[in-house]
Amino acid sequence: MKLPLTQFLQLNLRQSNIKGFTSIRCLSTQEAIERRHHLFTLEKKRQLENVGRIEKIEVRYKGIPKDCTLVMNKDISTPYDCARHFSEWHMESSALALIDGSMYWDMHRPLTESCTLEFQTFNISEPQQVNKAFWRTCSFMLGACATVAFKDKVTVKLHSFPGPDIRSGSFIYDVDLPTLPDWKPTPQEMHTLSAEYVKLTRQNDLIERLEVGQELALEMFVDNEHKTKQIPDIARTNGKVTLYKVGKHVDISKGPMISSSGQIGKVFVSAVHKLLGSPESDLKQLYRFQGVALPTGVILNHFAFSILTERAKKLNSARSPINPFVDTRESVEPQSMQAHA
Amino acid sequence: MNQAQVTKLVSKLRIKVAPEPRRLRNPKGPEGRLDKLRKTVTGLIKFERIELNFNRADEARQYAERLISEAIVHGDCHKPTMEIADYWLLEKELIHKLFKVLVPRYENCNTAFTKMYRAPRPLYSRNIEKAVLELRGNPYPSLINKQYSNRHLIQNVLLDAAKYDYRQAKYAEMADKIGKTENQELNKLSKKDEITTE
Repeated sequence: MKLPLTQFLQLNLRQSNIKGFTSIRCLSTQEAIERRHHLFTLEKKRQLENVGRIEKIEVRYKGIPKDCTLVMNKDISTPYDCARHFSEWHMESSALALIDGSMYWDMHRPLTESCTLEFQTFNISEPQQVNKAFWRTCSFMLGACATVAFKDKVTVKLHSFPGPDIRSGSFIYDVDLPTLPDWKPTPQEMHTLSAEYVKLTRQNDLIERLEVGQELALEMFVDNEHKTKQIPDIARTNGKVTLYKVGKHVDISKGPMISSSGQIGKVFVSAVHKLLGSPESDLKQLYRFQGVALPTGVILNHFAFSILTERAKKLNSARSPINPFVDTRESVEPQSMQAHA
Repeated sequence: MNQAQVTKLVSKLRIKVAPEPRRLRNPKGPEGRLDKLRKTVTGLIKFERIELNFNRADEARQYAERLISEAIVHGDCHKPTMEIADYWLLEKELIHKLFKVLVPRYENCNTAFTKMYRAPRPLYSRNIEKAVLELRGNPYPSLINKQYSNRHLIQNVLLDAAKYDYRQAKYAEMADKIGKTENQELNKLSKKDEITTE
């Protein structure tokens, strides 16, 4: 599977000349993941080599144990590297970095200029942005979980996930399962999904970030027609697509995200609902995967957590990507209508 | 009853003191016990946070509290207090720390000067209770998360939203009930009207 980039391009060109993407579609999910991961690492390596002559920047750190100044490498050192100068506690507990007191920066995104740096954990006094990053990461990981959880004969095509809305009670990922038109997951299957999710979090992989050009992004997601449709829209502003990688799973997201998958503690994949498309959309249905999670170290009474999981089982009311005009809260609506009548 | 009240002579400690001292068994007897405790008290004043066996921590804590409260009451110009400090602090530079740093820190303190937490025990080992003993106002990050009531924390945001949801559902139910009873009453009234008209 480890072919160099040029060979892939040739392969792709030849196929697109002959019969479009038909033979690319024959890639199994596993192969597609491997391929994307390979392209990601190649591109990351290339970008690192492109930095060229190493310049130094001054990073003024504020916080525990004391304020100090670090001299780091421009475009190479990340906030995580700065955390490594302090202690293991900083490395494990910091979820986001705050640059110049205003910009939220991923822990694994290289610093571009001299700046001030603060680390943000989950229990600071103003954790809204950290929570959002956490929820976003949970959605992203749910996509990773959905791709690995099914058997090889089931094709899994990730569609997208909406922006984080914590008050809705669940994080979501909309997935297309073309070979399972009428799937109602059993409780056993839901347990398996949760278990797969926990397995991913236990691997404690760092969540890497990379900005790539539109062409490469299209090349990476060639097996997924939903993502290839979304990429031109995403790249419209500056021609770049932001990718995130955890383990071998690569996905598109605006970011920022938390530092590692080990920072997701208690987690529960609560429900899979079917979303029906509008009659004119070419995609007939999607499955909405929902879950609820808490950061590592948050201790919540099991009864309180059961309230959260029960709530997360209801269909999340976020906008459906294939049928934007229908409110997904149909099941709730008639009752309240009665109430108002 | 000419006896002086003991509480007026000795300042009262703000921690729970067991009625009997622990023996902290060791080959040298009571003297060895005091040696052990002196080591612990010295360590506590020096490092400000230590982790050790529960029994020894609880015993040493009482001596440390007494030492600090004596230092606050009498100050550094009182010979007996100086002797006590000299006995309990094995490293002599800590005497300066006691009078110059800790006394100003705790002068206006109206709680105990130390804090003790039960610490987790290592798995598969001798089952000895562990504790963390620390001086209040130490420079380390707090051991317990005091901000659990911050409503922006993710668990509180989730629980708040769940509470809101539940209330909305209840209100809808109540409104539904009221609507139904009203309808029934209206129906009854209209029936009555029909009867009377007949």
